[in-house]
Amino acid sequence: MNTPDAQPISDQVNRLQRWFQAVITHADGVDAGSGSEEAQRLIQLGPSQLEKVITRSRALTAAERLAIYATAYHTRLLECLGEVFPMLKRTLGDEAFDSFAFGYLQEYPPRSYTLNELGRHFPRYLEDTRSEADGTEPDLSIAGSSSQALGAWPDFVIDLAQLEWAIYEVFDGPGVEGQSFLRFDQLVNLRPEQWAVAQLNPAPCLKLLATRFPVNDYYTSLRQLKENESPPMPRAHQSFVAFSRRGFVVRRYNLSGTEFELLRAIQGGLPVARAIECAARASGDSVDQLASNLKLWFRNWTAEGFFRGIKLPGDNTTNANNNEHEH
Amino acid sequence: MVLKRLGHPHLGLGVGLRTVHFDYILQNHPAVDWFEVISENFMDSRGRPRYVLEMIAERYPVVMHGVSLSIGSTDPLNFEYLGKLKALARDIRPLWISDHVCWTGVVGRNSHDLLPMPLTEASLKHVAERIRTVQDFLERPFVLENPSTYVGFTGSTMSEWDFIGRMAEQADCGLLLDVNNVYVSSVNHDFDPEEFIRSVPHERVVQFHLAGHTNCQTHLIDTHDGHVIDPVWKLYRLAHQLTGGVSTLLEWDAKIPPFPVLHAEVLKARKHIGVELADARMADLPTEPEPAEFDSDTAAAGFQAESAVPHPLHHAMAQVE
Repeated sequence: MNTPDAQPISDQVNRLQRWFQAVITHADGVDAGSGSEEAQRLIQLGPSQLEKVITRSRALTAAERLAIYATAYHTRLLECLGEVFPMLKRTLGDEAFDSFAFGYLQEYPPRSYTLNELGRHFPRYLEDTRSEADGTEPDLSIAGSSSQALGAWPDFVIDLAQLEWAIYEVFDGPGVEGQSFLRFDQLVNLRPEQWAVAQLNPAPCLKLLATRFPVNDYYTSLRQLKENESPPMPRAHQSFVAFSRRGFVVRRYNLSGTEFELLRAIQGGLPVARAIECAARASGDSVDQLASNLKLWFRNWTAEGFFRGIKLPGDNTTNANNNEHEH
Repeated sequence: MVLKRLGHPHLGLGVGLRTVHFDYILQNHPAVDWFEVISENFMDSRGRPRYVLEMIAERYPVVMHGVSLSIGSTDPLNFEYLGKLKALARDIRPLWISDHVCWTGVVGRNSHDLLPMPLTEASLKHVAERIRTVQDFLERPFVLENPSTYVGFTGSTMSEWDFIGRMAEQADCGLLLDVNNVYVSSVNHDFDPEEFIRSVPHERVVQFHLAGHTNCQTHLIDTHDGHVIDPVWKLYRLAHQLTGGVSTLLEWDAKIPPFPVLHAEVLKARKHIGVELADARMADLPTEPEPAEFDSDTAAAGFQAESAVPHPLHHAMAQVE
């Protein structure tokens, strides 16, 4: 190793490790990695001089041995991303998906101790590089098949990635299993004046997503088809989804725009009455017009365990007591 | 005097807990002696993986096995990670915590691979110091495993068995002797695997690992995707003889078979170690018939260079309606 003895011992190991990492994680392979500016700064090697640092085995050269790590690095991470975004991978096809995922790994190399974090920035990466998604349309029939639909392909891809990441997060994040949640009758028993101040405590697994395409329905359709089949890409249509979890399984609910705004306002901490006003304003409806739907919505949401309890001023408990328990 | 297995119990024959077997285990409560769990799969989980682990830890002895401690890295130890590791251990009460003699990344990155240490005095001192720090922090028995490696460094000044033996003595830690890794590395580095097994401090060996690997003809890769091959069983017999027998664990991480096949694979150990050497606990092993041979696409010795990726590859797989 090209490491002077006078250096602190950890410096010797540090330099070798940084060099090794630069070589095996380089996008263009071991030769490019060892010739990269970073690797050369750490350990200066001429072409074909890898064996000054890495021994050859009876069967393999130093470069071939390093390539085992380099191949494994990218293969492992691409495989992991494919499992986090399975429907996106099916939609794009293996080659296009791996191409995006490979680019993503160069931009966002893994830094967490857990692979569960690997896909966190993938939707953002797709958004940031959305122009590159043009021209990657797979051989899908496209509902409406207009040039407008074709041009919106990157939006569809980004939406689907967001949906799959939301599912992934809700699956292993905090939930309400084993805990009580708000019942509908507790909500309707609030006195009229309490609606102005009552806040609903959302379940920690409640997640909301607005998309430009109805990707939730697309996701459902794709899961029902065989591996080699694809539903048509849907027409662009602003869509809203709520995610929750029951019995440790992620559940998805399509929402109207008004439901989404109302849940978002509640999740943001607004008292129920103000949240309803917000939703009405966003939808262009009056509160009176909304009223006919509210009962049904809250009945459904409480049945699905969207809320853990009611918080009233001066009330120290945020969770419902003696309520239904989720197991 | 150092106690045999450092005084830790002989748990018998166990298997690595994998997500695909959750339902089978919860429904059937198979007569497995113990489970090893991948720490990183559970330390942040607040969903089904953690729930299942808690159910299993109530019924079976459990050991925690990590892949991201990066004990050999020159980055500072990650005390956020260690704190979560300690918290998980507090909750599920493992008999010990293990990880690998490796580094996984540097300058803040994580390759999610078990990268090889240069076998030098400098790195030995570095690793031993960090092990002592980790042991003090975790306040639990701590055990380190020899990984499979695919490169050697020209600057290395000692054998791997010298390195891990001295490391264990200096840091006063246990060893997880992965017999398959010894075999894989012996082929990749042209050394005698029996010399490795004979040379490690046997009283410090707390656990064995067994696994399948992939033969790429020019080298072997530690893929954990098939049956344990005969040369590895032979090394296992030697290791068993020299240590007097320690907790044995089968890993199977890719092309994972149904649980009964996995269990049957580790139970093969019984015929290799002989009843007379088995501890009392092992005498209670079930006598269920061995299932039909699992038709893995890769026999362990098969040629699968194209798709061979060393473990680890561990992360949650979402369940969604």
